Amino acid sequence: MPEFDLIAPTSTEEAVAELRSLPPDEVAVLAGGTDLLFDLDQGRALPRRIVSLRNLPWRTLDWNGGALTVGSTLPLRALETDPDLPRRMPGLYRAVRAVGGVALRTRATLGGNLARSAPTSDLIPILLALDAAVELVGPHGTRTVSVDRFVRSSRETALGRAELIRSVRVPESRPSAYVWQRVRPVNDISQVSVAVAFSPSEGTWRVALGGVRPRPVRVPEAEEGLVGPRPAGDRLSRVADRIARHPALAGDRRASDEYRRHLVAVLFARAVGIASDGAGGAP
Amino acid sequence: MNPRPLSVRVNGQALRVESVPDSERLLDTIRWRLGLRGTKEGCRTGGCGACTVLVDGRCTLSCLTLARDVEGSEVVTIEGAADDPVGRTVQAAFRDAGALQCGYCTPGFVMALTGLLKERGGSTSVGQLLDDLGGNLCRCTGYVAIVRAVEIARGRMP
Repeated sequence: MPEFDLIAPTSTEEAVAELRSLPPDEVAVLAGGTDLLFDLDQGRALPRRIVSLRNLPWRTLDWNGGALTVGSTLPLRALETDPDLPRRMPGLYRAVRAVGGVALRTRATLGGNLARSAPTSDLIPILLALDAAVELVGPHGTRTVSVDRFVRSSRETALGRAELIRSVRVPESRPSAYVWQRVRPVNDISQVSVAVAFSPSEGTWRVALGGVRPRPVRVPEAEEGLVGPRPAGDRLSRVADRIARHPALAGDRRASDEYRRHLVAVLFARAVGIASDGAGGAP
Repeated sequence: MNPRPLSVRVNGQALRVESVPDSERLLDTIRWRLGLRGTKEGCRTGGCGACTVLVDGRCTLSCLTLARDVEGSEVVTIEGAADDPVGRTVQAAFRDAGALQCGYCTPGFVMALTGLLKERGGSTSVGQLLDDLGGNLCRCTGYVAIVRAVEIARGRMP
């Protein structure tokens, strides 16, 4: 592994100043490190300095009514063991548990997963479906950006130079589901995944796909086809057929075009069924 | 300033390890500087769980952790498992179930199960524990005996 200096600032200002002091390709940010150490081993990152966020007070989790704010460096394991998460945001709970094994989730973070912005991220699709936003802090203060606008493509995000993700906010608890298909159920990468959530306050569905390039996407044409808290029958089948024709569902080394389209139709109907069971309301 | 000394507690002992580069993984510090070879390197990419140790009581992949990033923490490796009542219970359960073939994955399984039982206590179901052990692989595929070891360990928890 290449040599670098590791520093662990104790304030946001200090962290931002450290990031500004070197050209962007010579400095890297360490949250949990589960992606970064892999990149360092592969020679994909060659920083002179790494700024660890471990001493910043960002390992937080706050419920405010049904809204959830998660500090960017909170380990995923701490998020999944929150007693309220499985009931209030079942889709997010399932998605967090889909990331690696427990010993990986002890270190991996929500902020790190968003900053890596992998097309196969298990967290980005459900954050899209739950209408989440990230709070960023940098040299010019703080700003809030929706996850949809934050994620651009693999390793590309809306983060500016010396900007950090401070927290992730989900505006309301929603009946939701996250389902995926893999070669191996644990410690593998999803060939395709589907996240859905129903907003009781707006009466609308949000649908997102993962494992597609160049990034996980929302599918507005599927969202429009879903009416009421418990879509079912022919109407649901028609939307499933439509989503299977989505242009992002191309074949790659993980799954052929045909297989991925078949999977997404099955997974989509399954996800809506799971979320509908939690959505209540008249059938 | 780099390499520089590293202060860390390992298996109950406060250590000052000299000349550790910031880029060193906890796995390599444990195996090659401290000579604790019970912790195994499997895939080195977080895919197999063979390198699992406890950091501040939680099961952690030492291959994806920089030693410098856990400075000041308490690390427990398989060599220290027997100093803890839960670790002893888990080791005895693996022994009694004969839950090892080549043995390469065993330290990781023992530390992962110890961490899970310490984190969640005896109220966790066997099903939940098995689900949470999904990050540990046994390439001998000796899972039947490992499942039995989990059942035994769970049954012996207070």
